[in-house]
Amino acid sequence: MPTKQDHLATLEFAPPRAVLTLHRPDARNALSRDLLDALHARLDELHAREDCHVLTLTGEGRAFCAGMDLRAVLGSEGDRPDIESIHAMLSSLASLTLKIRDLHMVVVAKVNGAAIGGGCGLACVADLCITHADSKMGYPEVDLGVCPAVVAPWLVAKVGPGRARAMLLRGGVMSGREAHERGLVDVLADDRAALDTTTDALVTRLAAGGPNALAMTKRLLNDLDGSGIGISPDLLARAARLSADLFASPDAQKRLRAAMG
Amino acid sequence: MIHAALEGPVLVVTLRRPEKRNALTREGLRDLARLCEHLRDGAHPESDRVRAVLLRGEGPMFCSGFDLDACRGDPGGIAMRGFLSELSRTIAALRDGPSPVVICAHGGAIAGGCALLGGADVVVADVGAKLGYPVTRIGISPAVSAPFLALHVGLGPARARLLDSGLINGARAHAIGLAHELCPSPDDADERARTIAHELASKPTESMHATRRWLREVTPISASHGLEASLSLVGRDEERRMLEAFWGASR
Repeated sequence: MPTKQDHLATLEFAPPRAVLTLHRPDARNALSRDLLDALHARLDELHAREDCHVLTLTGEGRAFCAGMDLRAVLGSEGDRPDIESIHAMLSSLASLTLKIRDLHMVVVAKVNGAAIGGGCGLACVADLCITHADSKMGYPEVDLGVCPAVVAPWLVAKVGPGRARAMLLRGGVMSGREAHERGLVDVLADDRAALDTTTDALVTRLAAGGPNALAMTKRLLNDLDGSGIGISPDLLARAARLSADLFASPDAQKRLRAAMG
Repeated sequence: MIHAALEGPVLVVTLRRPEKRNALTREGLRDLARLCEHLRDGAHPESDRVRAVLLRGEGPMFCSGFDLDACRGDPGGIAMRGFLSELSRTIAALRDGPSPVVICAHGGAIAGGCALLGGADVVVADVGAKLGYPVTRIGISPAVSAPFLALHVGLGPARARLLDSGLINGARAHAIGLAHELCPSPDDADERARTIAHELASKPTESMHATRRWLREVTPISASHGLEASLSLVGRDEERRMLEAFWGASR
């Protein structure tokens, strides 16, 4: 039975392909509690789809995903923020990243526009990331007084510890072209107009692969994430706790309020 | 197809099957594995004089991978299993041997040919070289390369390269760390790789051996899981079906 949040994340099937779209364009697809729930439900559906072996993850509208929904993590002025509710959201994001990585299918993040913070995290959890030269990507968490704890292990896996350190501590955002140069993006389309055709070519290549060969290769790579970087449910649970503590801190609340204008 | 000759202190190992873009025959890869293992064990006739190894290819391309003709009429996948095992042995022996290894990936290094780069300390390529692992489209998992590739370029680029059967050019290979030196043309790459091999050979031997040994120790890897993953798909329906389709299309 459809639930109220179903429209927030839509799934289209054209086996062996599937497309999962974040559908909250008015909020630049920011991760609200409802959107996170919808994504979990869609991923559970995808785990059961053995006829699909390539998933494209993308965003409706001009943004890919603006990150955590700041309205949801801000307490009302003068009140203390609800740290348990913030923690629940970050735990949900943390388990979502594991759920995406555990899919048997190859996941392509089609970064159609801004991918910020947790949104950029989703882009680097995917097996492959494609964007266009003018998109905006990055991790401005430290600028806002918070800590990109949940996405950090995935970024380390994606670009290596040295580059991850520089990106996370310097904050800010970069263009799609810079993200490609720094290894956050694997395939770069020249401009926004070319993104669809470039993505189609990539997805067609992937869809032509042997499903068992792709799944087996991915499983081994996931094992290497575990043995090489120690990515585990426990690590991500601790990340969610750390991140929630920072989100609830007075300094972060002040900065987040200012950022929201 | 494997020709090895000492040029001063550099053992130049040349893949010589240019008309087939140096596609590895069963015999060729077996010989290469044996040669690399002999070098590792100090059992090669020239072992005492070798200070660096240069692996290169004759003709337009370094190596286009396994010669799949060897796998025809082999429903049990004996030939493919042999290829994969010898490939893993070759890369491991290059890594574990005493002397530094330079590979010239001029023109391209594809599938098993690209996997060989996992055994190199320095990879030279030209900007237009084509590199990658287009094997999932024939039902093969490139997992055998994963531990070595992940060590060289990191887990992210390794994931992208092993899952996407598309090829990247030398410039992108250089950007992700798969190639360490980039040259304008294949001929320049060949010359540059030779120069680098001689440079490495001229450095103090004990220091080079100790440094390579130490680098192995600080970056331990287990090659066996990757090989097992690749072997586990050989002879299965998907691989058989996709190989048949590949041969049908190339006929």
